[in-house]
Amino acid sequence: MSFLARGASAGAKRTLLTGSLVLLLLIAAPFAVSNYWLRVLTNILMFATIAQGLNIIVGYTGYHAFGNSVFFGLGAYATGVGMALGLPFVLALVLAVVVAVIAAVVFGWPVLRLSGHYFAIATVALNMAMLEIIINVGGITGGAAGLALPLSPLGPDTLYKIIYFLMLTVMVGATGFILWLDGTRFGYALRALRDSEAGAEVMGINTTAVKITAWALSGSFTALAGGIWAYWFTFIEPGSAFDINVSIKGYVMMLMGGMGTVFGPLIGAAFLELLATLVWGKFLKIHLLILGLLIVLVVTFMPRGLLYYLKSWAAVRGRRDSTDVSA
Amino acid sequence: MLSQTIINGLLLGGLYATASIGFSMVWGVMGVINLAHGGFIMIGAYVSYWAFSHFGLDPFFAIPLSMAVLFVLGYFLQAVFVNRVMRTSLLLSLILTFGIDMILINIVVLVFSSDFRSVNTGYSGSSLQIAGTLVPYVRLATFVFALALASAFYLFLRRTRAGQAILATALDKEIARLMAINPNRVYALTFAFGAALAGAAGALASMLFPISPSMGKEFIGAVFVITVLGGIGSIEGCVLAGLLYGLVQAFTSLVLGVNYQNVVAFAVFLTILILRPRGLLGQRFFGEIS
Repeated sequence: MSFLARGASAGAKRTLLTGSLVLLLLIAAPFAVSNYWLRVLTNILMFATIAQGLNIIVGYTGYHAFGNSVFFGLGAYATGVGMALGLPFVLALVLAVVVAVIAAVVFGWPVLRLSGHYFAIATVALNMAMLEIIINVGGITGGAAGLALPLSPLGPDTLYKIIYFLMLTVMVGATGFILWLDGTRFGYALRALRDSEAGAEVMGINTTAVKITAWALSGSFTALAGGIWAYWFTFIEPGSAFDINVSIKGYVMMLMGGMGTVFGPLIGAAFLELLATLVWGKFLKIHLLILGLLIVLVVTFMPRGLLYYLKSWAAVRGRRDSTDVSA
Repeated sequence: MLSQTIINGLLLGGLYATASIGFSMVWGVMGVINLAHGGFIMIGAYVSYWAFSHFGLDPFFAIPLSMAVLFVLGYFLQAVFVNRVMRTSLLLSLILTFGIDMILINIVVLVFSSDFRSVNTGYSGSSLQIAGTLVPYVRLATFVFALALASAFYLFLRRTRAGQAILATALDKEIARLMAINPNRVYALTFAFGAALAGAAGALASMLFPISPSMGKEFIGAVFVITVLGGIGSIEGCVLAGLLYGLVQAFTSLVLGVNYQNVVAFAVFLTILILRPRGLLGQRFFGEIS
């Protein structure tokens, strides 16, 4: 019998066990791997956070925010500008969250009234508009020339480990939040909204408030990833902070792992980022080509996500095992 | 100065209009947002550049060649990839076509390198002067060609059986099927014609803009704004919105400066989406996507 059929509690126990094992490995990792792999792991954690942020608004709420990178950029710039104004790093991260929440409420109120394609494109337009605005504002944001963050007094070794643990914390926070979401009233409201907005409204859910809250939460996690990224790279420019590829990549990862599942986006992020890293090193000239091919293949042949296919494969295998035993 | 701004805006707007029609049709008929449309325009421009630099073919004569190449490419992509994805979720088509766009850009970088190229014909620099307003010949000719192509496509949709089949499928896929129209073939045809129009726009653009693998990115933003402004799936809408867009761009750069062109364009876009999502000339049934 497969673990699926044995009931939810056994499955949940096993998931929890695997989860804590992976978490322990991730905590130990920075003391065991080279700087190169530390960077790769930090990148994976960053994209896992972005994918989880998308999971909240796309997987659970059903609003396909392709331009969620706007929060990544806002987080990076809020952190950068905050530190340029003399805030310590941690307070600058708080500022990033505040900015993300304000942006989600101010833009979400009109934009979340759109549905389907229209919402997806409106978020992309929002991202582009923000990019242009940062370029034109100039001043303390540095405009098109970019913004250098103050260097940390800590040595690079310590700093990169701290960055790693910060990313890990945010990623675990995002995943923990989604795990919690799975069983709460708010989570049910989101999924009701995804399946039928009119139906959710009839059931007494304040759809506008719920949607905006979901986007603000999604944006907050993305902004935290952006803020930590800014301090990690110490130099940000509009083009790289508001890079639409950030959210597209996160979206593909979420899709690959399985949207609307708790751990799927993490699996997708690890899989795609490792693959991209290996490809990046070996075939520098065609990495866009290979990433594009991967996207095309994932979308065409496994739109339901790796987790789904893994589970159905396990279920089939489990069934075969049990028939073997009975025979 | 004022008349010059208006002329510049209108002439550029005509090209933008043609660049948007294929995108708008694919969205309206199939419900697919084709992010590879910018890549199609870029490839059209490279076909024109290649024909010009190797055989000295005039870019205006390269238009049919660009259209043919992209027609085949579009038909292939639709039949092999887009059709499969449309059966699962329409929103996935956004990601799919984004991936296709990446592949197209990378292939062009490998073949032509990422250097900027340009097409300079003997008549590139000359212009017509009417009452103190300069009208460059190339821009005037691209404008005329662009509008002629738009009209030809309009007539194709309304006067031929294939065009009628496309329109019928856009209105109601199920009823169209009852009328013995095969939706898969209609989709492939629509996607191929959309790509061909993008190719024509690319060939025209090769005379006005620097050619580079990333030139499609500059177009796709304008194409989005024009499609939504004009009303999804409406050719008349595309032409009207394209001309308006050209005017808005020209006046923005006159009043606020070139840097603000995109900010204003996106502001217009978001306003239209929120206030009148069906656009200026959008009709019911077209582009209503669940």
